[in-house]
Amino acid sequence: MLRLLARRLMSNVPESTVYGGPKPQSPGRRVTLTHLRQKHRRGEPITVVTAYDYPSAAHVDSSGVDVLLVGDSAAMVIHGHDTTLPISLDDMLAHCRAVARGASRPLLVGDLPFGSYESSASEAVNSAVRMLKEGGMDAIKLEGGAPSRISAAKAIVEAGIAVMGHVGLTPQAISVLGGFRPQGKTVASAVKVVETALALQEAGCFSIVLECVPAPVAAAATAALQIPTIGIGAGPFCSGQGYNEEENVLELKIICERDPSTRCS
Amino acid sequence: MLRLLARRLMSNVPESTVYGGPKPQSPGRRVTLTHLRQKHRRGEPITVVTAYDYPSAAHVDSSGVDVLLVGDSAAMVIHGHDTTLPISLDDMLAHCRAVARGASRPLLVGDLPFGSYESSASEAVNSAVRMLKEGGMDAIKLEGGAPSRISAAKAIVEAGIAVMGHVGLTPQAISVLGGFRPQGKTVASAVKVVETALALQEAGCFSIVLECVPAPVAAAATAALQIPTIGIGAGPFCSGQVLVYHDLLGMFQHPHHAKVTPKFCKQYAHVGDVISKALSQYKEEVENRSFPSAVYTPYKISEADVDGFSNELQKMGLNEAASAAAAAAAGKNEETAG
Repeated sequence: MLRLLARRLMSNVPESTVYGGPKPQSPGRRVTLTHLRQKHRRGEPITVVTAYDYPSAAHVDSSGVDVLLVGDSAAMVIHGHDTTLPISLDDMLAHCRAVARGASRPLLVGDLPFGSYESSASEAVNSAVRMLKEGGMDAIKLEGGAPSRISAAKAIVEAGIAVMGHVGLTPQAISVLGGFRPQGKTVASAVKVVETALALQEAGCFSIVLECVPAPVAAAATAALQIPTIGIGAGPFCSGQGYNEEENVLELKIICERDPSTRCS
Repeated sequence: MLRLLARRLMSNVPESTVYGGPKPQSPGRRVTLTHLRQKHRRGEPITVVTAYDYPSAAHVDSSGVDVLLVGDSAAMVIHGHDTTLPISLDDMLAHCRAVARGASRPLLVGDLPFGSYESSASEAVNSAVRMLKEGGMDAIKLEGGAPSRISAAKAIVEAGIAVMGHVGLTPQAISVLGGFRPQGKTVASAVKVVETALALQEAGCFSIVLECVPAPVAAAATAALQIPTIGIGAGPFCSGQVLVYHDLLGMFQHPHHAKVTPKFCKQYAHVGDVISKALSQYKEEVENRSFPSAVYTPYKISEADVDGFSNELQKMGLNEAASAAAAAAAGKNEETAG
């Protein structure tokens, strides 16, 4: 009796630690492509948030958001770089594993980082495989719409891995874009957004992220596609929205700082 | 003028991003061992907090805390493991680099993780060197007081690297300890805590962490040492205190997690609650389509270009897309007019 009591009074006995992660998932619990398809058919917006570690994954899990993206934005918001370019596939896989331990319900999508998939379709397939095999992800995202990317997306889908496309502002391409510049602001650019989205759909993508394009362009792409679009800085006419959790939290901090009367703690 | 304005209205232009990190440090700004020694002499408590990435490092930096420890607690609070054992030196170095980018003022101490320093003094020196060379740390911490650890600490100090010792509950040793069990609760154990602290001081350590020991034991060690003690779950008689970032902020708010927030840790905020509420609100607003509103839809295309775009889409046979574009543009005009 006393010993049981003593054990309960002791902090951090491993047997009662929760860091063992969420309970083993039952097959019905994880959000799948089927669920997303159903939501899209019913016209229900799809929610996506990024996370990069165990606690943020646990928070996203509890919130009921549909899709958790382990974004290469980690390079900026976790590692403090100016761009998404420096992060390696191994770095990303460490983030993915931590997230997979924390979130049992949302669909897990891992971002292929700059330099891990551009040189050939087979490099792309290998990286995507690692994301699932070593990273515990359910699907991957890759950026861009050049012919080689479309081929890469197709090869990855053929390998049995679900692919989320990404057009508009593609941060890995800031070298050619000349900065984090919104896209689709001219006729030619806007048409290109829609065309590449369609080509990625043709290659087998299950959804497309539209980043930083004007709302009418996002609306057009969303109408032209059968698969859902996930917008970020692309207005309200997408099939769903994506958001960077770290920015969200930072934004809260700024709001708290501006208004001293707000009790934030 | 217009171009300057346009640039300021564009989000995330790399030149104006804050992710470039804090300004280059001036030599007088970084907390050093000298500063800590002076604080200790004056009887001023030393503050230590853990951090594991750029944003938490930036927060700790702004707070003015003296020492930032990149703890191997990352294995648990960042990676979700049950213990501190699984994290590798390479993992730790990634955390250290991110932290170094975020914090220019506090003294940066990197934890040598389980398996990176125990097999020989030279392995220990190599790992410590990597912490400074590749990880950007100012000093390292290692756990334990066995003779081989004392030798390792001495070798690292001789290599010119400041060492923070760690006695009491040493989480990397839960295998022999039989769990996260407080130490120093018997005479023999309490004496051992003081002896190992003294031996580590002798080896050249600049401070000693005392973890999960009764207050009188911590008081004794603190009095016996010339170097400062940093307590965690060791009562108020240490020269300073350390807490884990996530624990003190109340990051883990789910009842499942709340069970294992250590009893010695005061929660200074309930950040987990704030995060959960914000995520729920975001989800709600996306699902009821109130986010993004016009103010969060800043990227424009001119009316003339929308018309041109619509025409092109029609030529491509995408009539639905063409009308969707036109409707979206019209809707926006209504919003701005009304």
